Amino acid sequence: MAFSPENPLSVEPEIETSHVDEFVEQLRCVTDSLPSRINIDAQSVEQGLAKLVLTLIEFIRRLLEKQAVRRMEGGDLSPEQIEELGLALMGLEAKLQELKSQFGLTDEDLNLDLGPIGRLI
Amino acid sequence: MKLYAYCLTQGLDALDHSPPGISDAKVSLLKHEELGVLVSGLEIDAVPVTPEHALTHAAVVRSVLDRTTPLPFRFGTVVGEQQLKNYLTARKAALQTQLKHVHGCVEMNVKIIQQVQNDEAAPRPEDRPQGPGTAFLAEKRREIIGDERKADQAAELSTLVHEAVDGLIKDEQVTLRPSERLVFAAAHLVERSTVQAYREKVSEAVKRRPELHFLVSGPWPPYSFANIELEFLTQFGVT
Repeated sequence: MAFSPENPLSVEPEIETSHVDEFVEQLRCVTDSLPSRINIDAQSVEQGLAKLVLTLIEFIRRLLEKQAVRRMEGGDLSPEQIEELGLALMGLEAKLQELKSQFGLTDEDLNLDLGPIGRLI
Repeated sequence: MKLYAYCLTQGLDALDHSPPGISDAKVSLLKHEELGVLVSGLEIDAVPVTPEHALTHAAVVRSVLDRTTPLPFRFGTVVGEQQLKNYLTARKAALQTQLKHVHGCVEMNVKIIQQVQNDEAAPRPEDRPQGPGTAFLAEKRREIIGDERKADQAAELSTLVHEAVDGLIKDEQVTLRPSERLVFAAAHLVERSTVQAYREKVSEAVKRRPELHFLVSGPWPPYSFANIELEFLTQFGVT
C-alpha cells in the first residue's frame, strides 16, 4: 500500500520486545547520563579541559599497551625487556589513575561518544 | 517573543489539529515559501530537559506524521521568527534535499542487548608471570583478546540485522558498543509501504537468534536522519 495523503499508513508506533525490563534499565542508563543543564563556571571548564586531555592520554596509553602486547606476542622481546616494558606501562596506568582522582573523574568519564562511530575507547 | 521550533515540513498547507506545545502554548505552522515549520511561542529563553518537555516535543512532531514526513529539529531549538526565516532562505536547497531524502519514509529502530559472557582468553603457559611487569602485560593481552572477540560478535550482529532488512531500507545509522550490554542500535529509514515487510523480516531474525534480546520499535519521525543544523545559527549568529 503506497503512502499518500489520501491513503495514509497508520503511524502509531509499536514497541516489540520480550525483555521490557532489561531495555528500560539500559535506556534509563542513557537518560541518567544526560545533564539536565550545563553549568558554565570556572571549575567545570577546568574539569572539562582535564577530562579532554586525560581522555586523549588514556587513548594513547591503550595504544601503547596494544603495541607492547603485539611485540610481546611477536617474540622479538627478551623476558627482561617484557618485564621492563610491563613495569613502565604499570607506572603510566598508576599515574593516570592518580590524575583522575585529583580531578574527580572515573574510568567512564574518560571516553568520548563519537555518535554512530561509537566510543573513542 | 521567541519561537520553539519542532519540525520542518514541505507540502503542508495548514494544521488540522495539534497537541499543545511546550508550556501548553498553541502550535502553529509558520510558512516560508514552500517550507513550513511547526512552532509555538515561548516566554523563556531555554527549555529545560525534562521527560514532559521531551514527550511534548515528540507528540507535536508525530502529529503531522500521518500527513507528511517532517524533519524534526533538535530538542530545545529556540529562535526568533526573523532568524528562522533567514535560516530557511539560506539553507533552502539543503533542507529540500534532506526532505526529499526522507519523503514517504519513517524511522524504525532495532536494539539488541547481549548477555554477559565470561569468555576472556585463558592464560597461556608462557604467560605465567615471572615478575609484576610481565604479569601486567599478560593480563592486558587477555583483555585485548576479549575486546576483539566482543567487537567481532558486535559486527556479526550488525551483519545479521543488515542482511535481514536488506532491500527494505533507504538509509541506516548503526551504533555498535561491543563492551556494553546494549551492544547494537540501528535506525533504519523505511518507505511507509514496506514497514510491514520490514517488521516481518526483523521478526524472522529475532526467531533465528533466541539467545539475543531484541527491541523493535517504530514507526517514528526520522529523528536519526534529520541533521538540521539550526544550532549553527544560534551558536555563531549567522543570520
